[in-house]
Amino acid sequence: MIKTRSLRRQLLVMTFIVLLFISSLALWGAHIYANRTTKISYDRLLYGAALQMAENITLVNGKVIIDLPISAFETLSLSSSDRAFYSIMNTQYQVLTGYKDLPDIPFPQLIRESQQNQPIKPLYYESNYRGERVRFIILSKRLLEADKSKTVFVIVGQTMEARAKAAKEFNQIALQFVSVFFIITMLLLLFVIWQVLRPLQSIKQAITERSSLDLSALDIHVPSEIAPLVGSINYFMAQLDNTLQRLERFTAESAHQIRTPLAGLISQAQNALDEKDAALRKQQLENILESSQLLTQTVNQLLNRATLTHRFQSHPFSFLSLDELIKDTCRELVVWALEKHVEIAYVGDAKTNILGDEFALKQMLHNIIENAVKYSPEYGTVEVELMTQSTASNQALSNQATLQIRDQGVGVCDEDKLHIFEYFYRSADNVAAGSGIGLSIAKEVAEHHKATFHLKDNQPTGLIVEIVFLCVEESKQ
Amino acid sequence: MKYYLAFLFCCFIASGADSQPSTPSPSNTTDTYSYPSLAKQTVLLTVHGALDHALIAPLFRAFIAQHPHTQIQYTELNTNALYQTFLDAPQERPDIMMSPAMDLQFKLVNDGFALRNDSPPPQSLPMDSQWRQELFGFTYEPIVMVINTDILTGSPLPTSREQLLTLIRDKDHLLDGKIGLFDIKKVGLGYLAWSYDSQQSRTYGRLLEAFGNHKAQLYTDTHTMLEALLKGDLFIAYNLVGSYAFQWSKKYPWIVTLMPTDYTSIIMRTAFINRQTAHPKTAKSFIDFLLSHHGQSLLEASGITPLDHHITGQNSRQALQKLPHGIFRPIPLGLELLIQTDSAKKQLIYDEWDEALGSSTPLSQ
Repeated sequence: MIKTRSLRRQLLVMTFIVLLFISSLALWGAHIYANRTTKISYDRLLYGAALQMAENITLVNGKVIIDLPISAFETLSLSSSDRAFYSIMNTQYQVLTGYKDLPDIPFPQLIRESQQNQPIKPLYYESNYRGERVRFIILSKRLLEADKSKTVFVIVGQTMEARAKAAKEFNQIALQFVSVFFIITMLLLLFVIWQVLRPLQSIKQAITERSSLDLSALDIHVPSEIAPLVGSINYFMAQLDNTLQRLERFTAESAHQIRTPLAGLISQAQNALDEKDAALRKQQLENILESSQLLTQTVNQLLNRATLTHRFQSHPFSFLSLDELIKDTCRELVVWALEKHVEIAYVGDAKTNILGDEFALKQMLHNIIENAVKYSPEYGTVEVELMTQSTASNQALSNQATLQIRDQGVGVCDEDKLHIFEYFYRSADNVAAGSGIGLSIAKEVAEHHKATFHLKDNQPTGLIVEIVFLCVEESKQ
Repeated sequence: MKYYLAFLFCCFIASGADSQPSTPSPSNTTDTYSYPSLAKQTVLLTVHGALDHALIAPLFRAFIAQHPHTQIQYTELNTNALYQTFLDAPQERPDIMMSPAMDLQFKLVNDGFALRNDSPPPQSLPMDSQWRQELFGFTYEPIVMVINTDILTGSPLPTSREQLLTLIRDKDHLLDGKIGLFDIKKVGLGYLAWSYDSQQSRTYGRLLEAFGNHKAQLYTDTHTMLEALLKGDLFIAYNLVGSYAFQWSKKYPWIVTLMPTDYTSIIMRTAFINRQTAHPKTAKSFIDFLLSHHGQSLLEASGITPLDHHITGQNSRQALQKLPHGIFRPIPLGLELLIQTDSAKKQLIYDEWDEALGSSTPLSQ
């Protein structure tokens, strides 16, 4: 059994994957943003503290006076559990106050920048100091007093616990937000998917709810995307309805066709029983026999048709030689025809191959030739001719094979040609015995093989049944 | 059993039975006291502190009772000496360092000498009484002024710094050489309290001027100052630690201890574990014990105001609240303390100090 793929599940899995992807992206973005933001904000604190320190360094009588403000340390203590280090140095790199062993001070860079004579921007750098990773800021301040000037460097560093903690908190908030977003979106999408798939459900419901005999068109409102589906269903149901009606008529007609000869048989048999005269009785019994044979023929045709209908559905086509098949059929029927003083003549020597069902085609040929023989006058000839592209003058027929079966009977008037393929149709002035089903079957077989079926008048009198097959070239086997 | 033993120790101390091996006794010339363990296998926990050994002894004994394998050696030093010893003699660093000089303690911790104690501090203690779970405040002690009421003679008892200034102005020459102060250059705690004043108060400058004009005497320890007060060598002592002063006042009612009503500075004694301690587990449990309700109530019983405000008793924070006092301004245990250790800042304060007190010579022993 083929595993059916649920549309709903596919949609769910898709949306889940897409959402997961978006969420991860959002989290990743938030992570980067958090790190950047905390870095910037804590760098600002560091910068603020350094500025406040620098603010309180003055030059008095050529001496650097450092009176650090408590606010600088209060600023630093905003990250309450981080250690802080600071140092104030002069241009000879002597520590004026603060920590004397701060590492990795980027003096070369400072000197480079100061030589470019630009206002010196604060420099940030990180280093390991006293067992922890520390972020430092260094800025320089030029102290002025009358004609003297001195430059000092202020270095402030702080460990990064608060940064990490803030970033972590931010990430957690982002995670919470994204989770909530994920859940809400998923729920909304679930609802939307349910909403979108509901018309399909309603079609199913509409079909299951109706009775098995109701083949009228579905009357439900669906979105335009699903309307074609409903259209197809409705079309199919109309077809089915049509077929069922035909089947019904056929069944009724078949029953009628069988009952009428049976009624005749019964009355004839009754008469025969009552008949005293032996000669007449014999005549009546012969009539019974004839009627029985006719009935048998009808029943056989019906069975054949049933078999063919089954074959049409179950048997794949095979590759076969059409001309051989026609010759075989003619051979089978020639003796029977001769009994009726009719000759069957196979004309032409075209060879052609087609894809088809051998049994069905044979049945078709049988029915047509039999029909032709039946309506032929005594000592008449039924001509069977197969023409392929080599014999046909018209180029358009190059891929076709035309089979003609010609008789010299009375022919079929134009009005009858329209009805002759209907089941049990028999012309009013038809005198020959027959079921009225043979040609219908023949036509069905032809159509099943995508062959076209034409009726033409023969000269001077008679009927030509023409079937045009599509050929298969040898190479395409 | 525990209590019985603790009681025994108390008896030994009371009777001064120093011949007993189990009695705390000075082990050498510096004030070092040993508190033996109760079991054979021992862990030696060394503690350095400024607190009077007699006051801290009950806490040690109670800790030993809980941890029988522990032996404690306590060395009593003044705050500056504590700090210098720690820096200068790495091999003699204690396992536990206790000091009221919050700035010096903080500096050591900031410089990475402390070990983190991961067990969360008790809920009963304020959040800002610890830093990084490395430095732990454990007492809550007001900085007070102490006055020998003999000087008053009709003048009202000053309650604020402003009134103290008025009193000094009124009595003028009577107070020459009769005002006692910590020598801020030698006593860490004195420097801390004084520099904190410089941040807090507008009276600071006038106080310094008044102290200078009246040739204030400089001391290096509380006891000497209190005794001088008793003897009448001093009438006013400024910026003393409340714990000792209040006890003194209880004994000698004419020596009055006052919490200034303009604001009252509060210091916390702090403790940290040496990062290189050989017994981190014992050291951590000692800190936990120090901060526990039991430890805190033992401090209260010794006359030291504990940090935990749930503790009741005459030396508790609750009792302090009932006395006249100003806004309590605890010196924050944070990076602000670094400014107290800044050498340039220190020099500025020293310069002001020297300029005001000029030729004042410390009367240290």
